[in-house]
Amino acid sequence: MTDLEFNICVDDYSDGVYRFILKISKNKEDAKDIVQTAFEKLWVNREKVETLKAKSYLFTVAYHLMIDQLRKETKIIMTDSFDETTQTVSQGSSELKQLLLQAINNLNPTQKSLILLKDYEGYSYQEIGEIMQLSESQVKVYLHRARLILKNKLTHVEKMSA
Amino acid sequence: MINKNNYETFFMSYIDNELNAAERVAVEAFVLSDSKYAEELALFEKTKLQTPSIENIEMEDKIFLYRFPEMQASLDTDFKKSLYKKEAPVRKIVFTPNILRASFAIAALLILFIGVQLFKSDAPIKEKAAIAKDSKEVSIQNENNSIAATSGLALNRKISNTEISKTSITKTNTANNTIDAKEEQTLTINDINNNITSPINTSTVSTEPVSELATDLKINEKELSTNTMEAEPNETVKKIRMTPTIYKEIDIDEDDRTINIGLLEIDGSAFRGITRRVSALLKRNKIEKEK
Repeated sequence: MTDLEFNICVDDYSDGVYRFILKISKNKEDAKDIVQTAFEKLWVNREKVETLKAKSYLFTVAYHLMIDQLRKETKIIMTDSFDETTQTVSQGSSELKQLLLQAINNLNPTQKSLILLKDYEGYSYQEIGEIMQLSESQVKVYLHRARLILKNKLTHVEKMSA
Repeated sequence: MINKNNYETFFMSYIDNELNAAERVAVEAFVLSDSKYAEELALFEKTKLQTPSIENIEMEDKIFLYRFPEMQASLDTDFKKSLYKKEAPVRKIVFTPNILRASFAIAALLILFIGVQLFKSDAPIKEKAAIAKDSKEVSIQNENNSIAATSGLALNRKISNTEISKTSITKTNTANNTIDAKEEQTLTINDINNNITSPINTSTVSTEPVSELATDLKINEKELSTNTMEAEPNETVKKIRMTPTIYKEIDIDEDDRTINIGLLEIDGSAFRGITRRVSALLKRNKIEKEK
């Protein structure tokens, strides 16, 4: 990877990695530190990492750094992490959007990471598996469980409102 | 194939875009078969988050992530080495016997030099002290004379008179023989200290009647003791009592211990303490060696 290619990676992926980490960690400074560390590692290993796999490499490094960070903090409080960052999302209905965000906040970090990587970043199951060091079938199962939880929450709310 | 038992998995794979074209067509056909499945699929689609492009979340301080060639620039290693600073080697002074001897010799020479300087500086002080002592003695004698005159004791009178006669005779002799010298003496004393002149003048004034007393003493001691001592010494007593504090100022007994080395003036009293300590140390060493 050349210097120019590295800088293009910064342009293309820094925001995505930052957003992904910010959604889960809920801390801007932690998210920035993690992104910086991820790009630092990419720079150090630029000879080994192919340009096409740079995005996956960055997300992988950032995800594991975030998990380490969360483990260090011991208490993983995921509530309200979407409140500030996703207020501008134009879901069909703002009420439904709020419900969905609350439901996502109640997911565990793995499920949340799966949803984010799939919906926000558009990664395939295989890519998510590489990033999170899971098999493709594990990704599929865990992600589907998360989707079912969210669907049940939404169904329950719709029934209550009806 | 998709059926009533596995449709959820297919639906979730469908919204995750993980199905191939044939599977997607099969799912869409399954949904059209029953409106219940269409609602189910719509619910699953609601669980999907919107694309983040709308959120406009951007990394702050992204500029620090870029790598520019200038950031990788580094100085030449040879040039870097030229910037290094080396500490000066520390010299260790080993006190060999020769060095010790030399240092002792230098110290001895210094002490000798200081001693010579002290000796030289003491000489004028001694002269001053001699003059002051003479004046002191004369004044003391005059005082005694006056005391004796006023007390009226015969023995004291005789002793004082004889003492006065001795000093006064010498003074009068010097005064008579060398009048000019006496004047010069008074002048020089005046030059040294104006306070000194007054007692000397008083002594010269007082010596004249005292000399007369001395000569009369040879003729008749009783007459002297009765007649002259009543009148004359009172004047000297008055004069001496007029300036009682003068003699305290001319206290030459205090050693002027300033050492003049070239233009430098050093307080000798400090060296006095050092020399005492050195001598005490030497004595202790001798005692220890003897033991």
